[in-house]
Amino acid sequence: MQIRQPILYGSVFLLASIVVVVAIGGGLFYQSAPWILQWQHQTFYSLCHQIADRSFWINGQPMAVCSRCIGIYSGFVLGWLLLPVLSLINSMRLTYIKKIVVFVLLFNLIDAAGNFFGLWHNTLISRTILGGMLGSSAALIFVGDFFHHN
Amino acid sequence: MDELAEQQAEQQNEPPYWTSVGIAGLIFGIIVFALSLVTSYAMINSEPTGSLFSPVQLLGVFVCLVGAFGAMLATWHYANEYNISIKLGKGALIGLFTGICIALVTVVFNQIWQFVDPDMTQKLIDSTIANFEASELPDAQKQQMIDSTVQSMRDQNSIGTQLLYNLPMYGILNVLTGMIGAKLFGKKEG
Repeated sequence: MQIRQPILYGSVFLLASIVVVVAIGGGLFYQSAPWILQWQHQTFYSLCHQIADRSFWINGQPMAVCSRCIGIYSGFVLGWLLLPVLSLINSMRLTYIKKIVVFVLLFNLIDAAGNFFGLWHNTLISRTILGGMLGSSAALIFVGDFFHHN
Repeated sequence: MDELAEQQAEQQNEPPYWTSVGIAGLIFGIIVFALSLVTSYAMINSEPTGSLFSPVQLLGVFVCLVGAFGAMLATWHYANEYNISIKLGKGALIGLFTGICIALVTVVFNQIWQFVDPDMTQKLIDSTIANFEASELPDAQKQQMIDSTVQSMRDQNSIGTQLLYNLPMYGILNVLTGMIGAKLFGKKEG
């Protein structure tokens, strides 16, 4: 197996992992300040609605992002980690992956809209799973870009 | 050596991406600023519920991560304008600059808005205090929350604090979407 652009691959993994750690929020580090004032919450203030009821709680504090967003970020990191393995599958063509990403994105939008208009009630877990699917399928776009099997 | 010189020459011949970065940064900066304005005024005009989050913020469910997609617009514009392929590293760079641009535009518009409605921050603080007072927290805890929140809201008005919170995350997220954009919109080679 050959790796191409290892610095870029490693840097993206590092940056995406940092995003996940920050998104988990101050509860991970037992921060004492009220969660709404923690720097993790301030960092994601304009990127996520951060509604506590729609977020996972850790050590008595909600995460800095909602359940769907944490799913997207962690799904991306997981998908990124799996790239060396997934690049073994030659049949994963970009056109198929693009279709998967669009499908999952629409699925997320429909889920959010249906919940908003009271057609159904999604849960923390369902939102995380859908977000995770979106994040990991976004990472799959890079199958074959960093790892090459002879 | 020749290969390196060839690569450098190739890079120098590639068209600049600053227009695409500027356009996407400006558009998404305005969108992010407008959304924050809508949320702020909705909070100011809502009745205190005692909850730390008002129901209007549910609208935010649809706008999660909007600011992270600026880089996709930038790479799309760059690829379309010049009909070229974009390397992943270049996509990441376009994304990084677009994220920085979005953060800067948002901060500039926030500062301009201070002249349009100088009382907005105070109204927001008043609304937050009213909200805390309507909550069922013990009095001592309530006062502590009010004091620290008011202080934090005042601090957030400074340019330095806004940049400190916005620049890194917009930069990182747009690096990722810039790479996705490069992959999706760049012309295929060969």
